[in-house]
Amino acid sequence: MTEVFFASAIGVFTACGVWLMLRARTFDVALGLALFSYAVNLFIFAMGRLTFGAPAIVGQGGATATLADPLPQALVLTAIVIAFAMTALVLTLALKGRFVNRGDACDADDETRIEDSPR
Amino acid sequence: MLLIGLVLLPFLASIACAAMPNTARSATAWLSGLTALGGCVLLALAAPGVFSGEIFRISMPWFANVNFGFRMDGLAWAFALIICAIGALVVLYAHYYLSPDDPAARFFAFLMAFMGAMLGVVLADNLILLVVFWEMTSVSSFLLIGYWTHRSDARQGARMALTVTAMGGLCLLGGVILLGQITGSYSLDIVLGAGEAVHASPLYPVVLVLVLLGAFTKSAQFPFHFWLPHAMAAPTPVSAYLHSATMVKCGVFLLARLYPTLGGSDLWFYMVSGTGLFTMTFGAAVAIFQQDLKGLLAYSTISHLGLITFLFGLDSPLAVVAGLFHILNHATFKASLFMAAGIIDHETGSRDMRQLNGLWQFMPITATLAMVASASMAGVVLMNGFLSKEMFFAQAVELDSHHLIEMIVPIVATVAAALGVTYSLRLIHDVFFNGQPVGLTKTPHEPPRWLRVPVEVLVVVCIVVGVIPQWTVGPVLAAMVQGTLGMRPEYSLAIWHGVNFPLVMSVIAGTAGILFYFGLQRYINLHSVTRLPVSGKHAFDAVVGWVETLARKVVGWLPSTSLPRNLACLVATAFVAMAWPLWQNGFGSAPPRAATDVLTVPPLVGLLIWLLGVAAAIAVTINYRQRLTALVMLGAAGLAVSVTFVLFSAPDLALTQLLVEVATIALMMIVLHFLPQTSPVERGTARKLRDAGIAGVAGLGLAAVAYAVLTRPFTSIAPFYLAHALPDGGGTNVVNLILVDFRAFDTMGEVAVLGAAGLLVYALLAGFHVHFDHHDADIAEDWNPLLLRTVTRVVLPLAALVAAFLFLRGHNLPGGGFIAGLVLACAILVLRIGGGGRTILDPAHLPYQPWIAGGLVMVLATGIGSMVLGYPFLTSTFAHPVLPVIGEVPLASAALFDLGVFMIVVAATMLATISPALLPQDHDAETQA
Amino acid sequence: MTMLPDHWLVMPIMLPLLAAALLLFVERVRPAWQPFLSLAMTLVLAGLACRFVVMTHANFIGVYLLGNWAAPFGIVLVLDRLAALMLALTAVIALASLVASWRLARRGPHFHAFFQLQLAGLNGAFLTGDVFNLFVFFEVLLIASYALMLHNAGGRTLRAGLHYVVINLVSASLFLVSASLLYGVAGTLNFADLAVKLPALPAWDAGLARAAALLLLVVFAVKAALLPLGFWLPETYGSAPGPVAALFAIMTKVGIYAIFRVYFTVFGGGEGVLAGLGSPALFAVGMATIVFGAFGALATKRLIALVAYLVLISSGTLIVASTLGPVALGGALYYLVHTTLTVAALFLVAHAIAEQRGPRADRLGSGPPLPQPVLVGLLFLVTAAAAAGLPPLSGFIGKVLMLQGSGRAPLATWFWAAVLGSGLLATVALARAGGSVFWKTHGVAVGAPMPAGDRLGLAVLAVAGLLWIAGANSASQYTAATAQQLAQPQSYVDAVMRQVPVKLPARSPH
Repeated sequence: MTEVFFASAIGVFTACGVWLMLRARTFDVALGLALFSYAVNLFIFAMGRLTFGAPAIVGQGGATATLADPLPQALVLTAIVIAFAMTALVLTLALKGRFVNRGDACDADDETRIEDSPR
Repeated sequence: MLLIGLVLLPFLASIACAAMPNTARSATAWLSGLTALGGCVLLALAAPGVFSGEIFRISMPWFANVNFGFRMDGLAWAFALIICAIGALVVLYAHYYLSPDDPAARFFAFLMAFMGAMLGVVLADNLILLVVFWEMTSVSSFLLIGYWTHRSDARQGARMALTVTAMGGLCLLGGVILLGQITGSYSLDIVLGAGEAVHASPLYPVVLVLVLLGAFTKSAQFPFHFWLPHAMAAPTPVSAYLHSATMVKCGVFLLARLYPTLGGSDLWFYMVSGTGLFTMTFGAAVAIFQQDLKGLLAYSTISHLGLITFLFGLDSPLAVVAGLFHILNHATFKASLFMAAGIIDHETGSRDMRQLNGLWQFMPITATLAMVASASMAGVVLMNGFLSKEMFFAQAVELDSHHLIEMIVPIVATVAAALGVTYSLRLIHDVFFNGQPVGLTKTPHEPPRWLRVPVEVLVVVCIVVGVIPQWTVGPVLAAMVQGTLGMRPEYSLAIWHGVNFPLVMSVIAGTAGILFYFGLQRYINLHSVTRLPVSGKHAFDAVVGWVETLARKVVGWLPSTSLPRNLACLVATAFVAMAWPLWQNGFGSAPPRAATDVLTVPPLVGLLIWLLGVAAAIAVTINYRQRLTALVMLGAAGLAVSVTFVLFSAPDLALTQLLVEVATIALMMIVLHFLPQTSPVERGTARKLRDAGIAGVAGLGLAAVAYAVLTRPFTSIAPFYLAHALPDGGGTNVVNLILVDFRAFDTMGEVAVLGAAGLLVYALLAGFHVHFDHHDADIAEDWNPLLLRTVTRVVLPLAALVAAFLFLRGHNLPGGGFIAGLVLACAILVLRIGGGGRTILDPAHLPYQPWIAGGLVMVLATGIGSMVLGYPFLTSTFAHPVLPVIGEVPLASAALFDLGVFMIVVAATMLATISPALLPQDHDAETQA
Repeated sequence: MTMLPDHWLVMPIMLPLLAAALLLFVERVRPAWQPFLSLAMTLVLAGLACRFVVMTHANFIGVYLLGNWAAPFGIVLVLDRLAALMLALTAVIALASLVASWRLARRGPHFHAFFQLQLAGLNGAFLTGDVFNLFVFFEVLLIASYALMLHNAGGRTLRAGLHYVVINLVSASLFLVSASLLYGVAGTLNFADLAVKLPALPAWDAGLARAAALLLLVVFAVKAALLPLGFWLPETYGSAPGPVAALFAIMTKVGIYAIFRVYFTVFGGGEGVLAGLGSPALFAVGMATIVFGAFGALATKRLIALVAYLVLISSGTLIVASTLGPVALGGALYYLVHTTLTVAALFLVAHAIAEQRGPRADRLGSGPPLPQPVLVGLLFLVTAAAAAGLPPLSGFIGKVLMLQGSGRAPLATWFWAAVLGSGLLATVALARAGGSVFWKTHGVAVGAPMPAGDRLGLAVLAVAGLLWIAGANSASQYTAATAQQLAQPQSYVDAVMRQVPVKLPARSPH
């Protein structure tokens, strides 16, 4: 049952993230990327299966067999930090592009699809 | 050695010429001429050997099973002789032909490059090398045709020639490689002996077609003939050399060369002879109606190449003899004719036969020379052209095949010969007689002495060979035949064979041709014929144009500059890549996880978190146009994620997620200050639906995969970490152990990325001034209070909570460098957003770069330290190892490592967040003016 | 007995990282020293690469256990023929790009640091034997490539850069999905270990395993710019500064390398549950890429974009050839080196032309004459001929090797048609471009002559290219052996799994 909830959450985050990614404004794309990265982090985490109330901390007695799988957690940590770095970069590009290219549109072809295209 | 020299000398000369200034006219000419003559000398030295049937060889390995080597038998020798001898004459001619402001050095550089390539073609000892030089002749021809770069017809002609011949060359390459696969080698010695094997192979037709495509494009056989007339935009020396005497002979040379391997099948006969016969007749017919002198000669060249092709197609040794003989003859009289045409062009300023009339009175000598050469071209007795034409007639008669063909071929041959007489006659009559010149820009006169010498030489050759063939061309031809066929059939070069079929045909053709010409002149004025009914150029342009429009359509239709469409492509492809195998194999029916592993979560908690996350995500999506709202919702979603991590026993994860969350949101708010507060409304429901579709399937897909994995048993390498963490890693928090020890290398790369990101953000914004103009009304004038309200409310308690949690956990490890760093960074960030510390935090005052650098150095230092101690990079030595010499030292390399991580995280985060926050900005409207 | 670990393997990653850090200090105290330090480091890397090529010549496979943890628990670096080849190629391109960017570097902060970081990332990607570590190094080389591309960037470059960044961000997320999914089914991240465990998976995991594997190929296809994921490339490469574009010539090859690595070494060319995975898809995708590249080259109106399209053609050719058997793969590897060198040179030449033509820049069509028609013209002629595969240059050799290697493979006919056809179209496009730049001129020359840096960079590439042609015999032998080694991953797997850690001294408990 828990698995259903967990997986469905991943699904919702992915769907929302992807939809936002496909917008025509850099900031919205950044929002989408953030949501998508949540989904991916949860997914990586899920690959180690779910464990309740047994953090991967050894040496306090108790069988290590039932502890959570530490490896995916380490991977997620790395992924989170890298995602942060990249988000910062995208936002900076949005900021600078907004003033250099007069607008934070990221879709050269489809300017027309914007009604009130702000500067 | 002699062969190497023969091929390399021209290339060296070419480089030398290229190095000289264009003003060094005589120097380059002398160099080129001597090179050509040197080639002749080398060939003369080799002559005795070649005549005695010896085959010169030299070869060294180049790559794979392809050698770099040369091989000279009679055939190659004779061709090389043509190339060098006529080359020498052409150089002499060109030196006087080119005008002083033509860049001579470039001309001779290209010419010598061509000469080398051409010699390479005929002397190559294996087929691949032959193709190599073959393509080089195409390129040099391209450069020479386009020599007068200011003329658009030259540029177009050059491109057309390159396109057609390069296409043929590629086909030839394909055929040659197949041939090599059949015979097991590219070496001529082997390929020439492997005729049976090749004929037996199922690939034979393919090979034949590909090779013939190469030959026909190069030798301008129908329907690939059209590039040759357009190549006439080249300077006349080039036309005389490349486009009559040598390069266009590559094709027929190839036919002769590969005759023993590919020849002698019905397919060969029909394709080669058929094409040749048609081209011969067609070319001759079209030649009559040309108005451009060189155009006439071009089509006559096409026609004669057709004749030679026809002869090689017949499956008889004597036909091969005739073909080879005609190659020699054609080279002499056609080259001389082109040079004569060039002289006329040079001295009258026109090549148009509607203007050129009655030149006899102005340049009798040139006229005489031209007439002799044309007579040879027409096949008049006592000219070399006569002999090979008689042989050709003989072959046309003796041909044994289907009786219908046996009947038609001689007739067609006679007709073609008659047409040949006709255009030869027109050339003479129309240019040198037939009234007075019309509208010439200058009055014609004889050319300078040396411009005419090459013509004289060639014409003398025509006559001498025509009169005493046996003593002049005899041995050469014999050597050629020997080299081509490997045997020497019985043939006689006598002029008089008595009255026989060929003689009769000659007479008929001659009289018919003469009558036809004067008939034409009487009934339709040839000068009135403006354009030809058939034009290969149009077809070519049509094809090229079609391909280009197609290309533009395709490229224009595909997304190149649209990010959303590219992303849609990417996501869709990824979905297909995952869905396809799952569709094929299904998720599989894995046994359920063992009962012990199945977890029990307090349902209410789980449900709440789930609701929070999902609701927040959806809220972001719905409200994305209200950016600030969306941002807060995003924060909520992130919060849900980190709580999820807490719930499923990943405390470190939860903390990091939370802190990064804070930093991200804060950064987004700072950036949002410079961006529009709302997103514009989007048009186009269709696109939204499409996006929704893609997003939906992506979500479903990932959810399904996650569920499938979550519910199946699992064996991984995790137990190793759990088991070795304490004894070999000296830590209890295994996740942290993995980060700083088991997989510290990942962490090293990760902090490098983070540091680089900080530096890059700084680099992008360094010295960048923001100008707000009156259009930016949507931007909050004073934003600090706003952000202060929103952010500090979130951040301050969180920072406190994090610190407390860290404290309470108090694990014995050298703390989570990330977590500590992020806490500090967030705290400073809040301080900054609170309005304080502008100056002290400015990267200009506070050098963050060295922090990042220092952190990186520290991280690497731990790794190097372990190397110094004789262990692999980044080996963690947590304890107090007893080391040789030094003794016991307290050393916690992991702690140093984590310190480096800490430094980088703080500095990079600050750079990435503060740089935008401190952007210099002014709100004046004038800046836009 | 404890043998000392062979530290050589970590040097190509550690040294440039160290250099990057030091350069940040140097930049503050002695800015003028940066290029020399950077150059020295690049030369050291070149030396290392040469040593590696020699080391691997006798089918030696070097393994380095980072952190002294045995595979598959720690991260391993593995040096086989392919890795050595790529390292050497990277070093050469880097050298050329660095000298060519002598002036560019001064136009903004941190250029040389980012350059070294780029090299560290590339070398790491080529050496690592761990799928997640490969992800990390992809990120390293990407962030560095963003920095280099955006170095003192204008509006067009900013926009193109944003596309490049976002697309790679998404593909990075997909990389995480596939890598973690591989862990989720096989329970390991090490290449060699995966190669052992994936084929042995129970049948019910086949679907997921194959999905993960294919997704991984998709991610790499983005890097290699294969259709339908390569549309971003022409704009990105077209707007990057010349020397950076030249360096980017190696970037698509990282994707190609990664595809070869996982497809042959990890997926074992398709054994067990992965049987017959990807090959048809790769073939089709590669063909489509060739066609698109050829059309683009024909359609484009800018010289630099034309070169970028040639990159697509080469990517497609390499992928298709790799699906036609080890012999063709050997030819493809020879071609890989050729195309990287050639494209890098062509980018430098194209940018030189653009600078010399003043306002007309690289737009095709009539323009002012160049101040150095002979030098630049000759350079263009040679590089273009090489790129179009005209003899006697390396492109021709590579094509011959691939064609005769593809032999009688059922799909070979299509490959032949694609290679010969794209060669023809490239020839036509380049001939037209050259004609309009060098022949169709009017007015007077406006541009300045070619800077020494560019000439030096081109000289480096020229020397490498000529060696590759003259030494074609041994070169093709090396690549053929590389292909063989790649086609039989067992030796790789054994080398990794049998490597034992260095004995640690007994720990004193405390």
